[in-house]
Amino acid sequence: MSTTPFPHAGPAPPSGINPWVLGAGLSVVVPLLAVLVMNLGRDPHSIRSPLVGQAAPPFSLAPVGGGAPLSLESLRGRPVLLNFWATWCVPCLEEHGALTAAARTFAEVQFLGIVYEDDEARTQAFLVQRGSSYPAVLDPEGRAAIAYGVSGVPETFLIDGGGRVLEKHVGPLDPGTIATLIAKAKGGPP
Amino acid sequence: MIPILGRTLILLALLASSGGALVGFASGARPTALGWLWTRRLAYAFAALMALANLTMEYALLTHDFSVSYVAHVGSRSVPTWVSVVSLWSSLEGSILFWGLVMGVYVAVATWQNRDRHPEYMPYAVGAWLACGAFFSFLLAGPAQPFATVLVPPLDGPGPNALLQNHFLMVIHPPFLYSGYVGMTIPFGLACAALLVGRLGHDVIRPLRNFLLLPWIFLTVAIVLGGWWAYEVLGWGGYWAWDPVENASFLPWLTATAALHSALLVERKGVLKAWTVTLVMGTYLLTILGTFMTRSGVFNSVHSFTQSAIGPTILAFLAAALILSVVLLALRVDTLAPEGRLQTGPSRDVVFLVQNLLFVLFTFTVLLGTVFPLVVEAARGVQMSVGRPYFDTMSVPIGVCLLFVMGIGPALPWGRATGRQLRSALLPPLLTAAGLAVLGFALHVRNAWTLLALFFGGFTAHVTVSELLLPVRQRMRSHGESFAEALGQAGRRGQRRFGAYIAHAGALLAIVAIGVSSTMGTSKEVQVRQGESIALGGYSLTFVNAARVSELHRESTLARIDVSKDGRPIGSLYPRMNQYESQREPIGTPAVRTSLTEDLYLSIQNIDAGSGTLGLLVLVNPMVGWIWIATAVMALGGFLALVPPWRAARQPVTGTAPVGAVSPGGSI
Repeated sequence: MSTTPFPHAGPAPPSGINPWVLGAGLSVVVPLLAVLVMNLGRDPHSIRSPLVGQAAPPFSLAPVGGGAPLSLESLRGRPVLLNFWATWCVPCLEEHGALTAAARTFAEVQFLGIVYEDDEARTQAFLVQRGSSYPAVLDPEGRAAIAYGVSGVPETFLIDGGGRVLEKHVGPLDPGTIATLIAKAKGGPP
Repeated sequence: MIPILGRTLILLALLASSGGALVGFASGARPTALGWLWTRRLAYAFAALMALANLTMEYALLTHDFSVSYVAHVGSRSVPTWVSVVSLWSSLEGSILFWGLVMGVYVAVATWQNRDRHPEYMPYAVGAWLACGAFFSFLLAGPAQPFATVLVPPLDGPGPNALLQNHFLMVIHPPFLYSGYVGMTIPFGLACAALLVGRLGHDVIRPLRNFLLLPWIFLTVAIVLGGWWAYEVLGWGGYWAWDPVENASFLPWLTATAALHSALLVERKGVLKAWTVTLVMGTYLLTILGTFMTRSGVFNSVHSFTQSAIGPTILAFLAAALILSVVLLALRVDTLAPEGRLQTGPSRDVVFLVQNLLFVLFTFTVLLGTVFPLVVEAARGVQMSVGRPYFDTMSVPIGVCLLFVMGIGPALPWGRATGRQLRSALLPPLLTAAGLAVLGFALHVRNAWTLLALFFGGFTAHVTVSELLLPVRQRMRSHGESFAEALGQAGRRGQRRFGAYIAHAGALLAIVAIGVSSTMGTSKEVQVRQGESIALGGYSLTFVNAARVSELHRESTLARIDVSKDGRPIGSLYPRMNQYESQREPIGTPAVRTSLTEDLYLSIQNIDAGSGTLGLLVLVNPMVGWIWIATAVMALGGFLALVPPWRAARQPVTGTAPVGAVSPGGSI
């Protein structure tokens, strides 16, 4: 550290608060912050899914591991929880345990996984390793994903027994959210 | 293991920066040698810890350690090594970590350079830098958490954003942008220190100006790299769309440019001190606003990262920084009394003031246009966008005025000019200006703004070139040197001044190129079948065939287009459509043939390799290449104008004037 005394050193002139600067500054800063705070939490990319309340788009897709194609039509009569997922998607891994457990708990609801942008071998290895309690179907050309307007994974749709979309959930599910969704399908509290 | 190491390093960086901020402010208020020593040590420690944390993340990315959450989100075994390396700044959490690295480097260099200088200011300044560093460390330790542990690691990850892999410009754009944004912390800290000390003397204005100029250079390059990337990748044929995130980088550039000029008046005349401090602080605050805009998900943009808890945290910091800055300014601004008076009447001093006001007006115009849609959204609940018409209508007049002051300022002398001085300074460039405007009129230019731009552009070009050559001519006359000798000598002696005029020349070139390319281009959207030809702007284009190519991380469809100009074949272009793993929408890569006069720009809208049909957007964009060249010229000028730190200590201001300058425009 230099020890030379500073040539201009001296007491700073006395000062109070400058009301003009304060007023001008705050009149710019406060409205700006107010606008930003009001818009926080709004997602400009999300528009409420137009599918809610409409008939769920039909599909007929081959299950992972082979077998006859599974169609939405064939599941009529009971609520369906349709989950778009992939093995490369980290939030999907997080929700996998909760979904597997919930499919066992809520036996009255049919759980169905639709594999998004992934290949069969990887998916099968994943399901063997992590375990599963409900079927998964492949969507190799992404037709179902396009029909449902999926923009990323995980996304989950709840469809009632009559084939109408009740609710759409974006992002990973936890046991509480699954219970709330299913309660909606049954039309009462969980 | 790696997640724990990373989190430990971040926590230590948080400790070092918050501790250093406290020690810095304390030893600023009551100076002790020990306090200053520990302030510096903690600053270096912060820098070292950030560097180590970044190295740790790079190691995790390269070894595909998917137990690190950031690697699990952006890593992939199927991408080339270079993609793994740059994945550090491809996504939200990693980019904040990288931000910390850049900040550490700036803080360490600025502290080291000034370790024996400015003893009054430096503890406060380092304290302010580390306070900002503490916030980013907190962001990394809490809301962002790049080093969170993934309990059940996946076997493979999705890989980084496909846009990043699509073009090398996207790889280098973020480092430049961060070097620009983060660097503004340093002048901000010095401005806070000046307010706290209650003085902005000649001693501290120089490091302040240098550390404003360095990030300004990076920011200039980053903004244009962003535009260049948009041009080369997005495929709509333009380079600037007044997108909120583009504006976010443009806003601090505007205030920084204003501050660079007003700092000169502080240095030369001791006036505009409070104003300069305000501009410098505003620049930093605008970089934080920009950071918020990019990372909160509030603004809809091609650039924005997704929504997260990081947005509210940055907003809280922005609010605290804004309000504290306003209060600090209001409390201390009266201590920065001017040492002189600003000249009135026709003089360079007044033009500087006008230039500053124009830049601030521009800043508010862009800020208003960016934020206004949010106001409408909040009030009426409808989504809207102000869009290009507003920005174009507003920026053209301001741009033309700036073109004018960039010429008239250097033409006028410092202080009050006499009538004779005015005539000899203004008449020659006025003749060039009038000549160019008449030439334009003769070439059927009828748009009033274009004619005005030609007039002022000619004026400014004349002044800039003659100011660049003035000291050279003087040396050739007085020392009998050859042109090359004189150019070298004059350039070396008046490097700052030289750099400034080269930057002006670059700015002038950029304005001309932007004006020409945005008003004089042609475009056409066509459907062609294999073997067919189309014509546009003297070019003839033949769609020869389409081919599919598989690479490690993507599959592409290429269209081969043979190009001939005025009947002569000039080669083939290959615009392409790329399909990345884990991305449903394909991303196009346009093919651009750049020449000095114009670009031929081909972008695939849709392609069917089977049936051999191709939807093609064809543009002929004049002078676009000159925008990139002009930016390089501006950056070069900026580098020349940086006073080397080993000379900064003793170089007097007058030393920047050319030897024996007598002309009104003799020094800057």
